[in-house]
Amino acid sequence: MKTGRILKSAFKGLGKNKLRTFFMMIGIVIGITAVTIVISAGLGAQNKIMERVKKFGLESLMIFAGGGREMGQPTSGGPITTLKIEDAEALKREIGNIAGVAPFNRKGDGVVKHQEKSITTRIFGVTPAWAPVWDWYAAQGEFITDEDEARMARVCVIGPTVQQELFGGANPIGEQIRIGNVIFEIKGIMQPRGISPGGGDMDNRVYTPLSTFMRRVANVDYIFGIKVLLKDARKIDETVVTIKSILRERHKLAAGEPDDFRITTPTEVTQFAEKVVGTFNIFLVLVAGISLIAGGFVIANIMLISVSERRGEIGLRKALGARNRDIRFQFLLETLVVTITGGIIGILLGFIGSTILGAVTQLPVSISWEGVMLGILFSSLVGFIAGLQPAKRAAALQPIEALRS
Amino acid sequence: MRAIVKVKDVSKVYKKDSGVPIYALRNVSVAIGDGEFVAIMGPSGSGKSTLMNVLGCLDRPSEGEVLIDGQKVNLLDDEALARVRNQKIGFVFQSFNLLPRTSAIENVELPLIYSERDKISGLAKAALENVGLGDRLNHQPGELSGGQQQRVAIARALVNDPEIILADEPTGNLDSRASYEILALFQQLNRQGRTVVIVTHEPDIAEYATRIIKIADGAIESDAANLNVRRAEDVLKKIANTVEVKS
Repeated sequence: MKTGRILKSAFKGLGKNKLRTFFMMIGIVIGITAVTIVISAGLGAQNKIMERVKKFGLESLMIFAGGGREMGQPTSGGPITTLKIEDAEALKREIGNIAGVAPFNRKGDGVVKHQEKSITTRIFGVTPAWAPVWDWYAAQGEFITDEDEARMARVCVIGPTVQQELFGGANPIGEQIRIGNVIFEIKGIMQPRGISPGGGDMDNRVYTPLSTFMRRVANVDYIFGIKVLLKDARKIDETVVTIKSILRERHKLAAGEPDDFRITTPTEVTQFAEKVVGTFNIFLVLVAGISLIAGGFVIANIMLISVSERRGEIGLRKALGARNRDIRFQFLLETLVVTITGGIIGILLGFIGSTILGAVTQLPVSISWEGVMLGILFSSLVGFIAGLQPAKRAAALQPIEALRS
Repeated sequence: MRAIVKVKDVSKVYKKDSGVPIYALRNVSVAIGDGEFVAIMGPSGSGKSTLMNVLGCLDRPSEGEVLIDGQKVNLLDDEALARVRNQKIGFVFQSFNLLPRTSAIENVELPLIYSERDKISGLAKAALENVGLGDRLNHQPGELSGGQQQRVAIARALVNDPEIILADEPTGNLDSRASYEILALFQQLNRQGRTVVIVTHEPDIAEYATRIIKIADGAIESDAANLNVRRAEDVLKKIANTVEVKS
């Protein structure tokens, strides 16, 4: 009741001097707008990363040939030839926590042709286990089978992008395409999957049996990587240790020699992405913070002026029985009303800003309750800190001193 | 007669920069009883405003005792004094001191929000009706005449049912007709049993009180019953007649 009335008069006070209110609010509005945009953009980026990680699978890990390099850095030197199909089979056989292994090899920029049309795509050599391990199946026709693998059949399954580019709307199953000099028959089309964790189009691919790929496309006896599907994702750390020791033993690596393979887990992917987003956010939050602090000083200053202008009112209220804490509460509340109103305006502008930013830059933007809560929290905090000193000064005025003016 | 306010040997000293003490009040003792209508008179600088501030618990005396309704208040802390002002004293000021752009009823409600009586509804409305402004509840000060504004201020002084009304030059900013209306209102409130103290420098105004205390140089010069109390209503009637004759 009492608070409600003081709140009402605080709002009334805001309306009385619009220009002053504007100056008081502007810093907060800018600061909170910035905070909201940062949070929206950061959250959007994080959501996108998580979405991609989920595509990769949270209960799986990836073994790549070649060791020692950080994620995101290019491979140096020639191809690593030590990872073999037999390694994948051994892991499957020896580790109880492994539900499936999908050894594969690939070629980055293979040109695939159908009549006059051609497309640059990624060519994969995979085993039938690829489908269950990735949880990714043929949408039409069928995927690579054990028989294809055993016969070294010249068949392939294509991604929707390849289908679109080479055949338009027409049904490609049974049609032939040419990879290098080898003719392959299309036996299936993959389910669409969109963008990979690395940013590539996962639908611009052609899958062939691994045996066919190794013999006829790449002419190698090693593989590029193994995707491992776990039975229990919680035991991922132990499993990684076991995989390492088995592979080191199979590759006859002496103690002290570095790994000639690299294991990537979903946590690693997430952490890397979060590190990038985090650095960006710290910078922007700093900018927002400076703006909020500057805004806070302006507010404190204007409130101090307001206190000395309203000495008469303060004296009157005290004469009528307001205690020091009633006056303190009133002025603190007035400051909070300014900053929280500014904060709400900032949140709204931030949402509008992030939506525009998202549309213009094609960056993912996500609007969240966390952003709203943080905006309100920050603006309250600034209001509280900025309002404290003016409120104290108002409360300390002696009634006769104040009434005299 | 029960004393509402009692001051005993009260002095108020201000120390100037030179270190020479200035006495605004010097050993003043006075008691104001229940139901009295007292005028405190004196020229400006006589100490009458200081006395009023001490009586109203707006200021503490340097020496001496102040009792309000039997309670010794000169030693109370700020919070307790605020409570005394809120519940025992109703202030009326020369320049009305209404909150601008705030309706009459909200102005009158102001003392209620600092008391426990804010949950009793209708108090502010009743107080405004009591001063004849029952039809101006939602008018803002800017929409009211000076006399009406001062009546809003009186309603505000009455709303917490105080022991005493302290009015500091209540007619100082009003024309003569409005002044008599305010004096008539004070006299009416006094007849209803309300204790009223007005501070004024105009002898003419003091004639409407039942007791006149004259102050000069921080001390009481005289303190006597007014044997010839004038009735403000009579003056108002006379003014009304004059206007009729003229028109």
